[in-house]
Amino acid sequence: MRAEIITVRHVRVDLAGHRVLDDVALSARPGQIIAITGENGAGKSTLLRCLAGLQTPTGGEIDVLHGPPADAAAFWRDVAFVADEPAWYPGLGVREHLDMVLSVHQGGRMSAEAALSAVDLAGRDERHPLTLSTGQRQRLSLAMALIRPSRVLLLDEPERGLDAAFRPRLAALLRDYAGEGGAVVMATHSLDLAEACGAVHLALEPAS
Amino acid sequence: MKRRYDGLVKHSRDKRVNRWQDRYTMLFGLLMLVAIGGQPVASAIGLLAEHAGHADPARIGPGLALAAVAYAGYLALVRAVGPVVLSAADASWRLLSPLPRRSVLGRTTTLMAAVAVLCGLALGVVLVAALGAPDHTLVRLAAALFLGLCATLGGMALGVMGQSSPAWDGWLQALTTATVAAAVLLAVLGSGPGRSFLASVANAPSWPAAALATAVTAFLVRRAWRELPRVPARAILAASVRTGRVTQAAVALDPSALTWAAEDAHWRSRTPGSKAWPVRGAWVLGWQELRRLGRHPVRLAVLALSPVLPALAVTAGGPRLAAVLAFAGGLAAAASATSGVRRDGDNPALLRLLAVGRRRALAVRAVPSTLVSAAWLAAALGAMTVTGEMTDPSGMTDPSGITDAAWWLFGPACAPALAAAASRMALRRPVDHSMPVIDTPGGAIPTGPLLWAATGLDLALLGVAPTLVAFVVQPADLLPWLATQALTGLAVLGGYLRLRG
Repeated sequence: MRAEIITVRHVRVDLAGHRVLDDVALSARPGQIIAITGENGAGKSTLLRCLAGLQTPTGGEIDVLHGPPADAAAFWRDVAFVADEPAWYPGLGVREHLDMVLSVHQGGRMSAEAALSAVDLAGRDERHPLTLSTGQRQRLSLAMALIRPSRVLLLDEPERGLDAAFRPRLAALLRDYAGEGGAVVMATHSLDLAEACGAVHLALEPAS
Repeated sequence: MKRRYDGLVKHSRDKRVNRWQDRYTMLFGLLMLVAIGGQPVASAIGLLAEHAGHADPARIGPGLALAAVAYAGYLALVRAVGPVVLSAADASWRLLSPLPRRSVLGRTTTLMAAVAVLCGLALGVVLVAALGAPDHTLVRLAAALFLGLCATLGGMALGVMGQSSPAWDGWLQALTTATVAAAVLLAVLGSGPGRSFLASVANAPSWPAAALATAVTAFLVRRAWRELPRVPARAILAASVRTGRVTQAAVALDPSALTWAAEDAHWRSRTPGSKAWPVRGAWVLGWQELRRLGRHPVRLAVLALSPVLPALAVTAGGPRLAAVLAFAGGLAAAASATSGVRRDGDNPALLRLLAVGRRRALAVRAVPSTLVSAAWLAAALGAMTVTGEMTDPSGMTDPSGITDAAWWLFGPACAPALAAAASRMALRRPVDHSMPVIDTPGGAIPTGPLLWAATGLDLALLGVAPTLVAFVVQPADLLPWLATQALTGLAVLGGYLRLRG
């Protein structure tokens, strides 16, 4: 049995006639954190979308959990993806969102109280996400991804909107996740966050 | 300094109005309006004058109740719009400048007055149609139009004052609530116990009501005119932003933007709280819809009271209007529980995080939509049946055409198809303006807006077709039609989930 649960080989992506990714390779084992870095337009988000099955590569191979990624419920049962914009359902409070994730998955990695405390939203559990600040909404999104059971965590710029004081706590949360055997792949501009996580760097260069 | 600014505004305005091209355009526009609208209006008034004297006492109550509902809707709209609003450019530039507020709001004031006058005239026509004109037709018509004008001008004035003072806003809300209560009372009185009283009201001389309305309206309008410069800029800015979004959504024909704007505005000032989920698995998605609806007390009250509208239309003598209201209401009730479908359509990130398949999510979300629609339509059809029997116990000349007590069962039978249609409407994309415009002898038809408007409605019409046909043919035995409708409803929902999921 292979140790890697994510493998990317010779991946190439062309968008609107422009090469965004060219001959990208990546592999991740359980317990590993990969930080994809690079300037704007280097293709970090595109690579994450390929790993999430939301973008079909023009060429190359991608395996996530021993199969090609697919935008289907069976895939998402093992993979959690925090995209660029936090999302919420209208009419539900902060804690109800976390409880919803636990109820739908019929269990989770931690309790709602623990998750609220971990992301410093304990006093705001009854509020609507709309009344939170941008950073607090990002913390809620991260808590919803971290509370549910998963084997792979994909994060697109998780540090967006977060204050400097919270970033070491996020790094600790990601290390805990990896310590339990999950693999994290994140696109980030924060080298400090990547360092604090003990992540393996993958620096992308613009393809063209 | 102030005089200089006054002069600046006056100069630019004079320049605009005094140009002969503007006057010509205005005159030509008015002539065209008279030429196009004169004939239908003249024939409507003629028809009204011909039939006005024969107002049926049984229809006075429901007719007045419908007029009251329309007036309550007008007041709610005035409050929702502002009513003092400015264009985006004026709101961000002229409003915050030291220009005299009344000059800045000049065009808005004219627009508010014009809207109030048009709505007042329409309300007057509804009033005279409901009350009839047993004597002096022209005097009665003039009095009804005048009362309508007073009501809408007074309501608009109250809205202006409500924007600057919470106390007046409270009065506007109280008037809206009282109007809805009056509608209910009129509907009850019109159903039997108060018919003679309503008939005596219709026959009473109209001058005392006109005199009272004049006094109240004059007071409100004068007060609003004095308050106009004192409306806080923040209130005008907030209303302008709100109305700007509505206008943008209307121009781009993208109601989802409008829906989210209203939804966000509702939740931004509220704390939903925290309750445990009583169900597990994907069913939570269905429960979320019911929980959200339960936290909208006003929407719930509208849903609970509105099934009487088709029944009122029946007693007011409009069976076709009643049928249209019933099915439009059933579809609207189903659509009131589709926020989750719309959210997942716009941004499926949460659905991926929950790891629920698209088809499964649509299926569980169709449950609350079906339940709400079934309850609403069953209540509406039940009320129509009761009204039909009360209007004509013999069933010989029943205006609604439905006297069989089993008609309410068509509500639950139609609901799955209406839920599928509401889901399809919630998932439709904004209008594709790049689609071709078809030239026909009747004029150009833009296919983009047409297709957009038909999306969802197509499924609703297909899904409730057996009930619509049963309305027309009035079968003696409803059971086969009911069975056909139930199967059609389920087939439409099943087919929709299979194709869309």
